[in-house]
Amino acid sequence: MRRRVAVARRPAIIAVLLLFALFGLPALLSLYYIDALTQVAVYSMVAAALGVLAGRVGLISLGQVAVLAVGAWVAARLLFATTQPYPVILVEAGLITMVAGMLIGLPALRLRGLYLALITLMLAGAITVILASLNFPNGGHGFSGYNGALVNIPPIRRPSIASGDPAYYRYSVIIAAIMFLLVLAHIRTRPGRAWAAIRQSEPAALAAGINTTLYKLWALALASFITGVAGGVLAGAVHYLYSIDFPTQNSIILLAVVLMGGVYSLWGAVVAAVLYQFLPALLQNWGVSADWLTILFGIGVLQVLTTAPAGLADQVPKDLAKLGRLLLRLTRRPQPAEPAAAVPTETSGVSGGGGAA
Amino acid sequence: MIEVSGLTVRYGGVTSLDDMSLTFQVGTCGLIGPNGAGKTTFFNVLSGFVRPAAGTVRAFGDDLLAMAHFRRARWGVRRTFQTEQAISELSVFDNVAMVHEHSRLGGSSRRKDVLDAISFVGLDADPDVQVRTLGAGQRRLVEVARAVVGRPKLVLLDEPAAGLPDEETSHLGDVIRRIPEHTQALTILVDHDMSLVSACCETTAVLDFGKLIASGPTAAVLRNDDVIRAYLGVA
Amino acid sequence: MPAWSDFEPFIVSGLALGGVYALSGVGLVVLYRATGVLYLAFGAVGAMGALIAWSLTQAGTPGWVSWLVCVAFAAAVTLAYGTVFGPALAGRDPLVKAVATIGLTLVLYGAMDLLWTTSGGEARSLTLPTDNSGFSVGQILVNWTQVIALAAGVVITVATGAFLRYTKLGTAMRAMANDRVITATLGVPVRRVEAAAWLGCGVLAGIAGLLLADLVALDATTLTFLVISSLAAVLIARLRSIALAFAAAIAIGLIHDLLTPITSLTNYRDMTPFVLAAIALLVLSRRRVMTQSREEA
Repeated sequence: MRRRVAVARRPAIIAVLLLFALFGLPALLSLYYIDALTQVAVYSMVAAALGVLAGRVGLISLGQVAVLAVGAWVAARLLFATTQPYPVILVEAGLITMVAGMLIGLPALRLRGLYLALITLMLAGAITVILASLNFPNGGHGFSGYNGALVNIPPIRRPSIASGDPAYYRYSVIIAAIMFLLVLAHIRTRPGRAWAAIRQSEPAALAAGINTTLYKLWALALASFITGVAGGVLAGAVHYLYSIDFPTQNSIILLAVVLMGGVYSLWGAVVAAVLYQFLPALLQNWGVSADWLTILFGIGVLQVLTTAPAGLADQVPKDLAKLGRLLLRLTRRPQPAEPAAAVPTETSGVSGGGGAA
Repeated sequence: MIEVSGLTVRYGGVTSLDDMSLTFQVGTCGLIGPNGAGKTTFFNVLSGFVRPAAGTVRAFGDDLLAMAHFRRARWGVRRTFQTEQAISELSVFDNVAMVHEHSRLGGSSRRKDVLDAISFVGLDADPDVQVRTLGAGQRRLVEVARAVVGRPKLVLLDEPAAGLPDEETSHLGDVIRRIPEHTQALTILVDHDMSLVSACCETTAVLDFGKLIASGPTAAVLRNDDVIRAYLGVA
Repeated sequence: MPAWSDFEPFIVSGLALGGVYALSGVGLVVLYRATGVLYLAFGAVGAMGALIAWSLTQAGTPGWVSWLVCVAFAAAVTLAYGTVFGPALAGRDPLVKAVATIGLTLVLYGAMDLLWTTSGGEARSLTLPTDNSGFSVGQILVNWTQVIALAAGVVITVATGAFLRYTKLGTAMRAMANDRVITATLGVPVRRVEAAAWLGCGVLAGIAGLLLADLVALDATTLTFLVISSLAAVLIARLRSIALAFAAAIAIGLIHDLLTPITSLTNYRDMTPFVLAAIALLVLSRRRVMTQSREEA
C-alpha cells in the first residue's frame, strides 16, 4: 500500500517543483544564472538520453556531446533556411538526429559493450573533425549554410513567444519536461520492461522472445531524438554556434556527471545537468577555476564505480543523488508511519521496494 | 515430437556436441550427463544462442534452426537457465507476461494466462511485487511460470532444482510432472538430481563428451553400465 | 594531387608518429590482457609527465633528469592507480574498468589545466636534443627523434612479444589474460604480475608522452586525446595481438600524415583512426557467433 500512496504524491511534488522552476527561479536569480539554468535544461535532456542508453540498456556513449552538436547543426541550418515555427524545427532536428543515430548505431550494435563505447568515442572525434571543417551554419547559403566571409553574422532566432532570456529559459524547461515525459512513457511500458530484461540478461530476454536488437535500436533512436531536440534548444539559447563549443572532452565529462547523478533515474539527469552547467557558472562567478570541478568529476566517477554493487546500470545512485532525494523527502508532508521494511525480505508476499523513477 | 539429426557444435577446438541424433517424443524427457557433456550447449542450440556446425532440428514439423533466436520463443520454445534469470527489477507479473507481450498472443487473454501460470507453479506471492524481493525458490518458480505461460511447444528446463532445498525441489518436481498435461508441450529436463529425473521423466537421454551414449526409458537408462561409467569413471 | 616529393617528409613523420602509437598500443594491449583494464588515461599521464618535464627544464634542470622524472611520474601514477583501483574493480566488466580510468583521466586533465593554464600564454613546446641532428635519406630530412620514435615502436613490440613468450613473468601475464582465477590457484603471484603490467604500461606512457610532446605539440588536450589513435590501433587488433596493434598503429600514423599535403582531405585527416577502426570492426565482426550464454555445457 505504501508504494501506491507514494506514487500518488509524486506528481504533485513534481508539479510544484516545475512551477517553482518556471516562475520562482527567474524571479530569484539574475540573468547570468538564468542563462546557466537554460543550459541546465538543455543538458538535462542530454543526460536523460545518456541515462536511457547507459542506465536502461547498458550502452555507454562516450560521444553524446557530438550528437548534441549534430542536433544543433541541423536546427541552426533549418532555422536559417526556413521560417517554420520553432517547435516544428525542434522535432525535425530530433528526427534527423534520430535517423543519423540509428544508421550509425545499427552496425555498431553487434559489438560488445567495451568496443561499442570505444566506437562512440571515435565517432565523436570524427564528428568533431567534420564540424570543424564544415562549421556551424551562420546564415550563409548552400548545404552547409556557412559563409566564411560573412562579417555580420545573424544570430540564430528564437521562437517569437520566447525571445527574451527568461522567457527562453521557461521555454527550454517546458521542452525538457516534455522530453522527460517521453522517456517516462517508454520506461513505464513495454520498451522499458524489455530494456530491463536486456540489461540484466540478454539470453533471458531473447529466450522470452524479445528482439533485443530492435529494442536496443529503439533506445538509440529515443536517445538520439531527445539529444537532437536538445541541440535545437541549445542553438536558440546561445544564438551563435562554434565547433570549439563541442570538444571531445565534454562528452567524457558529461558521462562522468551522469554517472555521478545516477544513470538510472530522471532526477539523476537533472542533478547531472546542474553539476555540468550550473556549478561551473557558480564557480566562475566566485572566481574559482572550473578545473576543480573536472577533478571532482573524475573522483566522482571513481567513487561511483567502485561502490556500485553490480554493473554500471545497476548502481544505486549515491552521493549527490541521494542527497537530492533526501532534500526532496524533507519537503514532502510527513507520511503515515511506514513499516520498518523497505528492506526486501526473503519471505513471500511482503510488498516493498518503491519503483525507480 | 522433436527430431534432432547429426547435430554438431564446435567452438575453439572443442567439439561440444558430436553428431547427436535423437528423437524426443511428447511428454517429459530427461537429459543427463557429467559436467561438460554438452547438455547446456544442446539447449543453447535450441534457443538459438549457438549455431551448430552441422545438423538439423525439426520440431513439430518446423525447421527450428531456420528461425531467428527471438522468434523461437514466439514459436513456442521456452527455457529456464542454470543460474536463474528472473528479471529482478520487474514484478512477478511483468516477468511472466514477458513472453506473452512479445509474441502474437492476444492482449485480452494476457492477464488470465499470466495468473493461471503463476497459480499453476504454486507461487504464493503478490504478482505485483518486484522479483528482487523474493527468495531463490520463488524466483525459480517465476522462471518456470514464464516457461509455461501461453501456449508453449517446447519447454527446456536447465537444472531447475540447482541450489534449492529438498521441499522446494520436490514441489518443483510436482510442477514439472504436470507441465505436459497442462500445456501439451514437450518438456526436456536437464538435471543432476537423479531422483528428480526419475520422478518426472518417462524417457531419458545421456550425453558424455558431446556424444549420445544412451537413451530410452528412464529406469533402464539409469541402470545402464555405460551411463554409470560415464558418471563414475571406470572401476 | 601533390607530387611524390611533397609526400616524402610525411612518410618519415608518419612512421615516427606510428612508432609512438605502436609503443602506446603495445602498452595498452599488454595491460588489458593482464588485467582486463583498457587504460584510457594513458595519454593523460604521459601528457602530465611531459608538462612536468617541460617545467623542470624551464627551471633549469638538465634535460635527461626531466625526462626521467616524466617517465617516473607516469609510471608511479599508473602503478598507484592499478594498485588502488585494480583490486576494487577486479571482477567487473571490462567496460566498467575502462570507464573508471576515465575518472583518472579527468582528474589529471583538470590538474593539468589548473597548473599549466593555456589561456593567455604562448604555446609551449618540448624539444629533445635529437630534434636538431639528423641525416638525409635521398631528398628526405630525418631527425634522430623520429628515428627514435619509430625504433622505439619496433623495439618495444618485438621485446614485449619475446617477453610474453619466453619469460616467466610474461607467461604469467598471458595466463592471467586467459583466466585470472585459475592462474591464481596455480600459485602465480597475481597481484605482483599485475603490478608489473601496470608499471610497464606506465613507463611506456611516459615515454610516449615525451615523444608525442616533441613530435606533435605540448598541449594537455591534444596529448590526452591522442591516445584515441592508439586506441584505434588496439581496437583493430581486437585488444589481443600486439603484432596487429603495431601494424595498425603504423598504418594510422602513416595515413594520417600522408593526408596532410592533399588539400581536399587534409582537414579530415584526424578522422583517420576512427575510419580505420570502424572499417576493421565492422568487417571483422561479420561472422560473430551469437551472444554467449553465461553457462558452460
